[in-house]
Amino acid sequence: MKLLLVEDERSLQATLVEYLRHGGYVCEVAGDYQQALAKVKLYQYDCVVLDLTLPDGNGLDIIRTLKADASRAGVLVISARDTLDDRLTALDLGADDYLTKPFHLAELNSRLRAIIRRRQFQGHHHIAFRDLLVWPEQAAVFVRDQPLTLTRKEYDLLLFLLANPNRVLTKEAIAEHLCGDAMDSADSFDFIYTHLKNLRKKLQEKGADNYIRTMYGVGYKLSME
Amino acid sequence: MKLLTKTNRYYLLLTTVLFALASVVLYYGLYGALRNEGGEQLLNRRLYLERYVADSARLPANPFQDQMSVSYQPRRLGYDDTLLLDPLEQEMVPHRQLTFAVRVRGQKQWVTLRKSLVETEDVLTVVLGVMLSVLLLLLLGVVLINRWLAHWLWAPFSQTLAALRGYAVQHDNGLRFPAVTTDEFAELNQVLTRMSERLVADYEAMREFTANAAHETQTPLAIMQAKLEQMQQLPELANPVLAQLTTDLYSATLRLSRLHQALTLLSKIENRQFAAATALHLDQLVHDKVQQLESLIQARQLTVHTHVAGSPALLMHPGLADSLVHNLLQNAIKHNHRGGSITVAVSAQALEVNNSGPAITGDSARFFERFRKHQAASASPGLGLSIVQQICRYYGFRVTYTFAAADARHTLRVEF
Repeated sequence: MKLLLVEDERSLQATLVEYLRHGGYVCEVAGDYQQALAKVKLYQYDCVVLDLTLPDGNGLDIIRTLKADASRAGVLVISARDTLDDRLTALDLGADDYLTKPFHLAELNSRLRAIIRRRQFQGHHHIAFRDLLVWPEQAAVFVRDQPLTLTRKEYDLLLFLLANPNRVLTKEAIAEHLCGDAMDSADSFDFIYTHLKNLRKKLQEKGADNYIRTMYGVGYKLSME
Repeated sequence: MKLLTKTNRYYLLLTTVLFALASVVLYYGLYGALRNEGGEQLLNRRLYLERYVADSARLPANPFQDQMSVSYQPRRLGYDDTLLLDPLEQEMVPHRQLTFAVRVRGQKQWVTLRKSLVETEDVLTVVLGVMLSVLLLLLLGVVLINRWLAHWLWAPFSQTLAALRGYAVQHDNGLRFPAVTTDEFAELNQVLTRMSERLVADYEAMREFTANAAHETQTPLAIMQAKLEQMQQLPELANPVLAQLTTDLYSATLRLSRLHQALTLLSKIENRQFAAATALHLDQLVHDKVQQLESLIQARQLTVHTHVAGSPALLMHPGLADSLVHNLLQNAIKHNHRGGSITVAVSAQALEVNNSGPAITGDSARFFERFRKHQAASASPGLGLSIVQQICRYYGFRVTYTFAAADARHTLRVEF
């Protein structure tokens, strides 16, 4: 998977690149509008992760360029502008998703995967993890070829974990993923524990290994070992 | 009252007073003049009679018919007014009379000469009639002309007013008016145009400022959050002390970010940056929001009842409507006890969120204040109800809080 990250803030750029490369993406970087424009004109990407507020231009124009060139690349906007109007403008221009800064890295990854899945496989795609098999378009889950029935939230939670294997997912990131970005940091995270307990129980009933690990005080992790 | 009606009222008052005054002055002026004229004629006759008596030593038999009477008894001398019967018209007619004494062959006689004032009265009536009709016509003319002028002359003013009424700083640039010939209106329009341009500039600056402030604060927060998340992936974080430290730092960062988002939202509402409005299905929105918060509701083992009795016809910005319902519901979840209940009632007039929960001490009017928390140490910034209040104020809704001590239920009611 080849990504282009357009982000002018060096510090954030470095963290994101490290994170994305670690996640198995080939990630190129553009620090300003002109660089980004040159890159999207020259190369093909699977997805462009795009900041809108750039020192020498507007990120929205990059989306316009991509669409004018009929590019196959998906567009995930990451912006500090959080109004509905900004969101709608970007989506109307053809962005696939819009993530407001600050965001959880796991959330970024989960959305990136969803975009690439939609764009590249047109639904004929499954996620395999150890003895698990998930067909995202049908929302079907199989453990060792047996179908597994999950509630909506449990399924969302499983997919979120699967998008970020072997990484610690904070309770805050999971809560926001499940309840939308309106989740108040003051709310208790008890419900995550409940959902996880149920998910683990259902997996174990079908004979799956216990690969969801609790990282004490921090969050949870889908373990590869 | 219209300006025209007001000015007309003063015009009419002045004209009526002048009109009455002029009538009186005119009447007495004319009457006096005509009476003087009559008196002069009588004096001329007296001179004629005296000359006649001096020449012929006798009074003429009856030179002025019944307009002269002679007596040997003394009479009061000088001018006088009297009423006499007109034998022809059989009515009392005012007369002017002059009495004087003549000595005819040594004998003193008193002569009274009379002159009818009937013609005088006729003249008076005609003159007064003409004058008053002209005045009346003038008055009517003034009123009509004023009315016509008001339409014609004040038309640019009405246009300016209509333009102002339809003006919204969020949508329009400056106000533009068609050219007018009246100096006062041209000046007014010019001032208004300049003012609106300044308003637009101020509004733009403010909008940019809030957008930039949001961007400049959220970016470092995004960096902090991303770095902390990276840190949490390190193997060294297996150390529980380090894990706790990063987790605390991480949640503090999130708190700061949420706080900032809430404050930005508040200032945007105050700056009226939510002009766009769409028709809203409140019942649907409530339903969606309850679903979104389902996990939180289940975690606290709350039961939610939704009563829909009609949906209000609301025009709201979708983001604000979302925020309003979300904050009301979150408030009801947060200030509830385990196993409690929430009742949401949607009707055409109001949205009511009613929840069980521990009694709250303190002045209920202050719950809407910023940073007001039930528990001082709570991690919540305490902005939820302020946002609710601001949104209600923005759309002219009325929001009230009541607490029923009997069954310990809190009610927040938003009336549209």
